[in-house]
Formats: sequence, C-alpha cells, structure tokens
Amino acid sequence: MFNTKKTIVAASIATLFTGSAMAMSGSSDKAAATAEKIDGKYAANYEEIIRKADGKYLDKEVIEAILGKDAAHGRDGLEGKLDPNNPYSFEVADSIDGGNHGNAQCKIPAAFIDVHDNAKANYYHDADYVARGFGTPIAESAVQAKWNITVDGDGRGLPDPTVGMSVEEGGKLYVQFCGMCHGEFGEGAKGYLPLAVDSNLVTSSFDDPAPIKAVGNFWPYAVTFFDYIRRTMPFWTPNAPFIGDAGYMGITGYIMQSNYIPIDAQGTELEDDTFYNSELLMKQNKFMKNQGNFFCDHRPVIHNARCMENCADEQVGDGTGNIQNFKQARRLPDGTPQYNVPQRMNEDPPGVGHSGM
Amino acid sequence: MTDKIVEKVAVQTEESRNQGRRAFLKGTAAVAGGVMFTQAASAADAAKFDPKKAVAPYAGKEEITEVLQDGAARKTLGFGVRKYPYGMPSPFEKEVQRRTLEWLTPDSMASITMTPLQSLHGIITPNGLHFERFHGGVPTINPDEHRLVIHGLVERPLIFTMDDLKRFPSISRIHFVECPANGAMEWKGVQLNSVQWTHGMMSCVEYTGVRLSDLLKEAGIKPEGTWLIPEGADAAALTRSIPIDLAMDDCFVAYAQNGEALRREQGYPIRLVVPGCEANMWIKYLRRIQVTDSPAQHREETSKYTELMPDGTSQRFSWYMEPNSVITYPSPDFKMEGPGKYYLRGLAWSGRGKVAHVDISVDGGKNWKEAHFTSPVLSKAWTRFELEWDWDGKEAFLMSRVTDETGYVQPPMPQMRKLEGTNNVYHRTAMVTWRVHAWDEGKNGGMIENVQY
Repeated sequence: MFNTKKTIVAASIATLFTGSAMAMSGSSDKAAATAEKIDGKYAANYEEIIRKADGKYLDKEVIEAILGKDAAHGRDGLEGKLDPNNPYSFEVADSIDGGNHGNAQCKIPAAFIDVHDNAKANYYHDADYVARGFGTPIAESAVQAKWNITVDGDGRGLPDPTVGMSVEEGGKLYVQFCGMCHGEFGEGAKGYLPLAVDSNLVTSSFDDPAPIKAVGNFWPYAVTFFDYIRRTMPFWTPNAPFIGDAGYMGITGYIMQSNYIPIDAQGTELEDDTFYNSELLMKQNKFMKNQGNFFCDHRPVIHNARCMENCADEQVGDGTGNIQNFKQARRLPDGTPQYNVPQRMNEDPPGVGHSGM
Repeated sequence: MTDKIVEKVAVQTEESRNQGRRAFLKGTAAVAGGVMFTQAASAADAAKFDPKKAVAPYAGKEEITEVLQDGAARKTLGFGVRKYPYGMPSPFEKEVQRRTLEWLTPDSMASITMTPLQSLHGIITPNGLHFERFHGGVPTINPDEHRLVIHGLVERPLIFTMDDLKRFPSISRIHFVECPANGAMEWKGVQLNSVQWTHGMMSCVEYTGVRLSDLLKEAGIKPEGTWLIPEGADAAALTRSIPIDLAMDDCFVAYAQNGEALRREQGYPIRLVVPGCEANMWIKYLRRIQVTDSPAQHREETSKYTELMPDGTSQRFSWYMEPNSVITYPSPDFKMEGPGKYYLRGLAWSGRGKVAHVDISVDGGKNWKEAHFTSPVLSKAWTRFELEWDWDGKEAFLMSRVTDETGYVQPPMPQMRKLEGTNNVYHRTAMVTWRVHAWDEGKNGGMIENVQY
C-alpha cells in the first residue's frame, strides 16, 4: 500500500536505459564532442564538459551533452533524475527503493560543481584548521535534557513506549487545546489548517479549489506530527508541560485515528481504548498513505535556449504565439484592477511602517 | 507637541502634493519643498522659449513664466540634531511600508508581509522594509542570555555566547533572501496588481557574520555527520535539514544586517544565512545546530515547502531558488505619462550564482533586447537592470527574462504551469507580464496591469 508511484518508477528505471544508448547531442561542439557515456546513459566526464563550458551546468546544450537530448526534458525526465548516478539527480540511492524508511535523503547534484568545489575548499576534515577556542565545551547530556526536542523521520528522539495514553484521552486533550482552531475532528476552523481530510489531492482546473494537504492524505511521516505538535503547539504556549509527552502522544493518536492511519498491513485501525505510544506511532509511520509520492527536487526540468528574435510560438504569449490571449485580475468599481497598492493606502493601523513616528 | 507639528506638516504637504506638480511649480499652492530656481529678468528674454523651435521632446511644451517663490523650508529653521536619535524616513515616504494581504493567514503571528519593491532603488533593502515571515511571532531576545549550541555527531559539543561568535573572523556578503512562496498567489491565475504582492516576499541586504564552516570545524564534525538540523529559539522552534555540502559551501551565521544588528523580525540576535536557498532554511533566533546522519523530515520540509505536482507526486528538499526577474518600473503601481522615452528598470536574481543576462520583451516574448546592469553584479544577490525604451503609445506586453551564470534561462509561465500545474504553491519563478494599455484607451490609457498567459 505504500511506495506506490515511487516503486513503479524505480522499477522502470532498471529497464528504461538497458541496452539503449541515448542519442547524443550533436549541436554543440564545445560540449558534446567530448562526451563519454556511462552505460549509454550519462557522460562520465560531465565535470570536464561543465568546466569547458565555463561552469554553465544548467545550459541547455551542456545538459543535453551530459544526459542526451531527450533524457531530462520536463517531467518526462523524472525517471532519469531518480537514478542517483545521474549527475543532475538530487536523489540518494537508498531513497528509491527504500521509500521513506530507507532513511530518505536528497543531495546536491554532482553537476552543481561550484557548490562541491566550495564545500571541498571549506571542508570539515581540513587538517590545517586550528581551533580558536572561542566556544565553551558542553556535555551532550546538558543539551539533550531540555533543548533537544528533535524527533526524526526514523523515530529517533521519541519518548519511551511507557509514555502515552488512550486515544480517547488524547481526544479529550485535543478538544481542550486544539479543537478551537483545528475543529473538533480536525476539520479546521477560523482559517487554521484542517488536520484530517480524505479528499483528492490533485485538481486540474484553475477553478478548482486548492487541495487540502492534511495528515491523512499528504503527510509522508507520522512521527513528524508528534515532533511538530510538541515543538509548536498549542500556538500560544508551545511544548506545554501541562500536556507533556504523554499528552502529545495521546493527541497524536487521536489525529492518526481521525485520519484512519492503520497500524499494520491488514489495515487495523486504532480503537478508542488503545494505549497509544511511540511503538504504535512507528508502526503507523510505515503506512502513511502518501509517503511513496515524494521525490527530491529534480529541477531544473526546464532548460530553454536564450532566444532573442522571432522566438518559437511555444515561448511566446500563451504558449501558442498568441499575445492577446491573457487573463487579467478582477476590476474594482472604479475600473482599476483589484489589489493594487494605492487602493490600500492609509488602511493600515497607526504604528505600521514609519507613519507613527 | 512635536508629533503634532509633524502631523500638521504632513497634512499640509499632503495637500500641496495632491494639487499636483504643475500647481506646485506655478506657486499657487503652499510650497513646502526646498528646491527652487531663480529667474533672472534680463536673461528671460534672451532665452525666450519658442515651442516651434524647441528640440523634439520639448516641442509643444508650455513654458512656465511665473516667478518661483521660496518654499517654507527656505524661510524657517529646520530641526536640530538628535531630534530622532535613530533616524526615520521623511513623512512624505509614509506610504512606503511593508504590507500584507489579510486573507493570506488567519493571524499576524504566523504571517507574512511583503517588501515594496516598486519603491526601492538599487539592490539594498532598508532594514525597516525587509519582508517579514513568522511562524510563531517575533520574540525579543536578550543577546546576553542567548546561546548557540553545536552538538550531535561532533568531536566537541560547544556552546557560544554572542560575544564568542563576534571574535571569529567575520565576512560581509550581500544576498537576497526569498520565501519560496513568493508569487504563490498567482499559480492559479492573476489577481494582484503590485510588485509588492507578486514579488515582495523577498529582500536583499548586506549580512555580516561568521562562516558556518568555521564554527563546524571548531566543533569538529565526525565523518558520519552529513546533515545539520538548525533550530530557532522562538515559539516556532523552526527546523530544516541541511546537507553538509550545502552548509560548507557558503552558509554563515549572521549577527548584522545592513551594518547594524539584525532586526528582531529577521532573527535578532543571530540567524542562519543560506545564500540562494529558500528563506525558511535561514533559521532565525538560531540556538542549536544538531549534526546528524540523516534529515529530520520535519513539518517544514514534508508537509510544507513541498510542491504538489499535477500527477499527485510532490517534490521535497527544493533548496535553491531559481533565477527570477521582474520589471519594477513601469509596473502596475505606476501609470505611463504618455508616449516617449522610458527606462525600464527591474531586479534579477539567481539562487545559483550571478545574473549573466537580462533580456526585455515588449511584445509578449516574441523579440528580446538585452538590458544593461546599473548595480554591482553579485552572486546570489539582486542585480538592477535597465533598458531604454521608446514607447509609441500602443498596447505593449512587458516581460523580463533572466539568464544566470549556470546557463539557466527563465521560462514563460505557460511552460512552467504545464509542467508543475496550479497547486504547487512554491517556486513560481516564471516570467510575469505587465500589459501597458494603449495611450488612446480613454481613462485606462497608459494603465499598467498584471496579466497572465
């Protein structure tokens, strides 16, 4: 049930390039002439190609020389970007088949040579660095006791499994401290975000309302919810002692239940009297509905040439060459477009800006 | 008392300003300004203005003959030193301020204001106009009590006072800082008519601070320490995961902004500077840097600041802000003053380095002319561009397009929307279009409007 799209995409990578050498760009002497492909995919000497082009690693011709003319265009190039050997990939190998539970990681693409050059120059293993001694040593335990409230995607930092409460008790705390802004059942209120929803994420029309990204339909990690509410909620007094780790755990259980997050592959859901703790949270962490649908940023997916005259229709106006086919904002009664700044002048309360001096 | 006087002056000057520049020059209004010209009676005849013989742009203009009068500023003594121990802009500039759209957020503690780009000059944002984005309100932190801890996968966990940090070698760099939601309200279509709304979730200032690489080396990163989890000391305790390569590239811990201490709104006493990257990574009120072997996958890098694509997948860890540009003059805050010569001005920037070229089209993207730069060209900073344009009074569609030193060319909006849909929210970095209404279009003639393809 998890790793849906990512698994499919990952599986397709294995066969996508097998035995088929990608066509090389023949249009650029400066770059393509020296490209040497690995397994018919990416130029092994990408660094040389980039340096020869004055570091222009996002130049259309350079990208095409390294990836092949069709390999990385647009969203169609996503499969290629998921291969960690791709010099433009942000993905780290284990995130492809491991999903969120392979310690999902992203990286700076190898092709971003300036970043790696600088990092190397400033590197932390620098043997020449002489400590200046301006800081004061501090025991790790002194930091851990209160300051380190981080729980990571693997659940490191979670409270002991003895800490928790029933989902029902958690629900009572939720209603008391959270419901006034997020709704009793997590449906949202007063403009604050809904926490529980099971609506479709994808809308296709301009007129569709924006999709709601709640815990059930969007969040890839369950543990992040516990980290976040303990870190920041209730809004007016975060990390509240009167809620405590047990209370935050109970509230987490209530929201997980409201979002129908199962605790096993059979789809078993939380009962009201279930004692909710970090063990159950980690089980649910494996069954978040949307977790397989996250990819590392794989931009740029667009690499245009810098056209100066008589540009192609798809680059002009509405994308067909028509410059009259535009949309404009709604008009105010006086005929001017809505949300212009002069319309808002003198609206702000005293003390805003420097008008109150 | 002084407040009342300032108020009175402001009211008077507002009135004179409302009567227009023409009335001001003719001396029919109460003149409060200071710039006056003297007219020599004898020279008047010699330099007699003949609209028929005047050089082209002045032909047909009406000559002013009324004797220029001294303004109030010339007749009275100005105020003395230390009236404002911390100086403030002229009251005439009072409309130049950070503004927000109330419908964006349900409260003011987790909200955003935008910088008035249409009123800025050069590449530096004054501290008082720097955009604001808070997740849990602005704390007022006593720097004597503030500490920065570096711990986790390090040889020596260390704690620093603010004085400790200032003892380290310092660097000063000019960088833009941009919320990835800059322009977010325009993914689904066009609705806002000001650069302040469309591009104002960003600023560009000079930061001074300590290299993060120096601090990390001071603590000694263990080889397995590959990620940093910086965290703020405020109510939001904001966290983002930053890979070590990015941290070692050019990040620093800043304590100063435009020559003075950071403002509270921007992280006083210290903030992380992650040049070129999403502003939410620039953790404010920085108190802790945890060195780990994996990202934390926290809320601000999974639930928020991830980009929903049309196929239902989402992008995460979108660190770099793509190259972007906008024409700030003329833009929807202005109106054309008739056909003639204009200098199209704007800002361009790239999260990956220096701006290489800015091209401007007045015909919706069909043909382009290269603008020149009127400011220093700095890496991951605003660059100011300008291009001379002779407007013939006909309808025009103004666009600017940046190319950065990595060779990336800013795309048009239809191309970006086709790939990324309308629900991305973040990184809307495609070109925008200002429609200049034809001069003969009646009351809307010369109006400049944000339109979208």
